[in-house]
Amino acid sequence: MKDTPLSNCERQFLLKTIEERKRLDGRETYDYRNIKITFGVDYGFCMVDLGKTKVMSQVSCELATPKETRPSEGMLFTTVELSPMASPAFEANKQSELLVKLNRQLERCLRTSKCFDMESLCIVSGEKVWRINVDVHVLNHDGNLMDAVSIVAITSLSHFRRPEVSIQGQEFTVHTAEERDPIPLSIYHMPISVSFAFFQQGSYLLVDPNDSEEKVMEGLLVIAMNKHREICFIQSSGGIMLLKKQVTRCSDIASVKVLEITELIQKALEKDRKARKDDDKFSFAESLPKEQITAQKLKEAPLEKMDIQETASEIINKANISPSTQGEHSPVLHAGGVGQVGEGITSSWGLEEDIEEEGEMEEKTTVKKTKRKGDVIVISDSEEEDIVVLN
Amino acid sequence: MFASFKDKIGEAVLPGDVFTLELPSPENKAKAEKLICGPGLRRDGDNVSVCKCGVLRHKPPNVFWIDSQQKRYVPVKGEAVIGIVTAKSGDIFKVDVGGSELASLSYLAFEGATKRNRPNVQVGDLVFGQFLIANKDMEPELVCIDSCGRANGMGVFGEGGLLFRVSLGLVRRLLVPQSELLAELSALFPCELVVGLNGRVWVKAASTQHTLILANLLQSAENMTAKQRQQLFRKVADGAL
Amino acid sequence: MDVNEHEVSPATREFGCEQNLLSRPDGSATFIQGNTNVLAGVYGPAEVKVSKEIYDRATLEVLIQPKIGLPGVRERAREQCVRETCEAALLSSLHPRSSLSLILQEVHDDGSLLACCLNAACMALMDAGLPMSCLFCGITCVISTEGQIITDPTLQQEKESRAQMTFAIDSIEKRVMMSSTKGSISVQELQEAIALSQRASERIFQFYRDSVHRRYSKIQ
Repeated sequence: MKDTPLSNCERQFLLKTIEERKRLDGRETYDYRNIKITFGVDYGFCMVDLGKTKVMSQVSCELATPKETRPSEGMLFTTVELSPMASPAFEANKQSELLVKLNRQLERCLRTSKCFDMESLCIVSGEKVWRINVDVHVLNHDGNLMDAVSIVAITSLSHFRRPEVSIQGQEFTVHTAEERDPIPLSIYHMPISVSFAFFQQGSYLLVDPNDSEEKVMEGLLVIAMNKHREICFIQSSGGIMLLKKQVTRCSDIASVKVLEITELIQKALEKDRKARKDDDKFSFAESLPKEQITAQKLKEAPLEKMDIQETASEIINKANISPSTQGEHSPVLHAGGVGQVGEGITSSWGLEEDIEEEGEMEEKTTVKKTKRKGDVIVISDSEEEDIVVLN
Repeated sequence: MFASFKDKIGEAVLPGDVFTLELPSPENKAKAEKLICGPGLRRDGDNVSVCKCGVLRHKPPNVFWIDSQQKRYVPVKGEAVIGIVTAKSGDIFKVDVGGSELASLSYLAFEGATKRNRPNVQVGDLVFGQFLIANKDMEPELVCIDSCGRANGMGVFGEGGLLFRVSLGLVRRLLVPQSELLAELSALFPCELVVGLNGRVWVKAASTQHTLILANLLQSAENMTAKQRQQLFRKVADGAL
Repeated sequence: MDVNEHEVSPATREFGCEQNLLSRPDGSATFIQGNTNVLAGVYGPAEVKVSKEIYDRATLEVLIQPKIGLPGVRERAREQCVRETCEAALLSSLHPRSSLSLILQEVHDDGSLLACCLNAACMALMDAGLPMSCLFCGITCVISTEGQIITDPTLQQEKESRAQMTFAIDSIEKRVMMSSTKGSISVQELQEAIALSQRASERIFQFYRDSVHRRYSKIQ
C-alpha cells in the first residue's frame, strides 16, 4: 500500500505557516506535543503517546554467554519494529531505510552512551550474563518516531525488574518473582532524544515535527541528551548546512526539553511504583479514557450455567453416534511406511490390470511383514525397515 | 411494510441486524411498495440485513440507509471529490482520491479543453471533480465538467488554501442542505470551503491564522454534540474577533 | 465477588474497548479482557499488489505481532484462525481486487489471547466500516484437571488446564465459525463448552452493541 501523496497545496501552506511562525496544530515553534506514558501489568512494559504517534516497548531478559571481548559485561539488544499498523507505507518484515536508521540511533542512544551498569548484569564471568532485550513497536506514525522511541525505550528500561540471582561459587540459582523481589537495572542516566526539523535552508526550525512537517522538511537534527546536559549522540540528516551557532542553540533547547521529559518520566515511574506498593491492581480497562464515547467497559460477571449440561447431552443424543459404528475401519498396512484407512476407489481409466498387480504385490509384502512381527504393527520409515520389505 | 424499520430510525445498528419486510400477499400486488436500500443495507431474501455499523436513517417515503463514521472512501458514481494528481500518462492524469485504486482523469474532461488547448495541471495539484464511472469492477474515472460541458465549480484548485482530512461522516454532515455546522462555521470567518465526499476538505480564509482555526475547529467538531460545538465556536469568536 | 467463586464458576472477566484510537489506520480498536489486551488496526479496501490480487473478492491479510521477538509458527497458526473467521464474516466480494489488511498487536497476554484477538479484530472491522454479513466474537474455554469448564481463563488457569478450546461464534445464529482446540476433550465436554461459549457470546455481542450505541450517541 502507498501512503497518501502530499499535494502542492499542503506543501505551500505548510511552508507559509512556518514562515509566519505558526504550526498546523496550534503549537509554538518550540512546543512538544502532549506526552502520555502508560505502564502495564508486567515490569518493563511501557506505552508512549506523543501526540498521535504511539509506540510501545517491552523489556525482557534471558541468560546468555557473554562476548569473548567483554566477558564480565551483560548485553543489550534493541529492536525497533515498524508495524504495518502504524502507516500504510510500512510493510511487515521489511528492512526499510527508516527502520535501519531508528534501530541504529536507538542503539547509539542506549548502548553506546552507557546509560546503565552493564557489569552488574554479569553472573559468572565469561560464562553467564543477562542479556536485556528491548522490543519497541511503532503502532501509529504521526511523525518524530525517534523521540517517541527513545522515550519509550528508556522508560521501560527504568521500569524493568530482572529476577534476582544468588551465586555460590560457580553455581547460581535464578529466583522467581514469588521467591525474591526482582531487582531493577542500575540506570546511570536517561538519554532522551529531541528532534529538530529545518526548513528553508535552515532559516526556520521546529521542535518535534509531526508527519506532515516531516514530509516538507529539508533537514533533521537529532540530539540525544541526559538531564546533566551531556550529549549522548547527535545526528544530522538531510544534507543541510548548519552554522555552529544553530547547533549550540538546538542543544540549548534540547537541554530544556530533556529536563521536562525526564521529570515527566520520573513522575510516571514514581506513580506506578506507589500504585504497585499499595497493591493497587493495575488494569488496562482502568486506563481507558472515561469521558470518550469511543471507549466502553463492562464489569466481570458470572455466566448462567444452569442448562448447559442438558443442552450438551441433548445435542449428543440427537447426533446419536453409537461408538460401535465407528472404528470399523482399522488401519490397513500395505507397505512399510504407509498407513491407510479404507480401500479408496479403484480407477476406471483402463489401467485396472496394472493396479491389481501392484495391489497383489503390496499384499504379499504386508503378509510377510505381519508374520515376522506378529501382532504388532509399527509404522516406521527407518531405512532398515525398508530394506527388510524389499527382500 | 416498514414497521420493523420505523422504531429503529436514528438508532445505532450493527452488521447482522435483520429487518423483516411484511410483504403484502401476492393477490394485491398493485399495492406493493418499493423499498430503496442505501449504503449499509442489503437485501437478503425477504429480509433486509445490515452490513455496516452506524445509525439507521430514513428519508420518506421509502429510502433507508446507514450513516457510518468511516475513514476509507469507496468511489460512488456522481459523487464530487477532491483528488491529488499523482502522475501524467499520455492523455490521462492519474488521481489519488483515497480509494483502493487511482482514478483516471482525461485532459479533455475540463471546461473548454481541446486537443490543442490542454489544461494546466501539474503533478501534486488538487482537482475537484465528480465520478463518471465508479463501480467495484472498473477503474474509477473522474471528470471536471458536468453533463453540459460546464465546469460548474469543478476543476483545478488555485493557489493557497489548506487541505486536510476528516471522517466521511463529518463530510456528509457538512453537505446536508441547511447544515448547522456549515452555518456556524461561516458565521465565524468569511471563507472559501470545498468539501469532497472522500473526506478531504479544502479551506481558504483571509489569513493563515483564520484558515488554521477553521481547519482545527472542523477536525475537532467530529465527536462533539451540537451544544459543545456551539460553545467552542462562541469561545473562538470571542477570543479571535 | 469472592475470588474462589470466580475461579470455579464460568465467568467472563472485565471487558473494555476503545475504537478509533489510532489516527492512521482506517479502523482501529483495542480490546481488553481482564489483563489480556490486544490492539487491532485495519487498512482497506486499499490498493493490492498484483501478485495477491483476487479478481472477484478482496484479499484479506492478517498479521499478528507478538510483544517480544519476531512472529513465529504460533502466530502464523493464530493468524490463520483469525483470517478464516474474518473471511467468513466479511462480504469481501463487494470490494474485488482490493486489499484488506488486519494487524493485531499483542499488548499483554493473560490467557484467552486468541479470543481477544478475534474480538479486537471484529471491533476494528466495525470501526473501519467494512461490509460484514454478521459479527463474530471469540471465547476461550479450558477444562481444569477436575473436569470443570472455565470460560475466559487467565494464563494461570490455561497452564493448569487439561484441555483448551477457542471458538469463534457468529452473531446471528450463534453458530461456531472456527474452533481451535488443544488437549483431549470428550464429546460431552465439547458440547458443553460450545453451549457455554454461545451463552458467553451473547454478553460480548451485547457489549459490542453498547459500545456502538455509545459511539454514535452524539450524532443526531
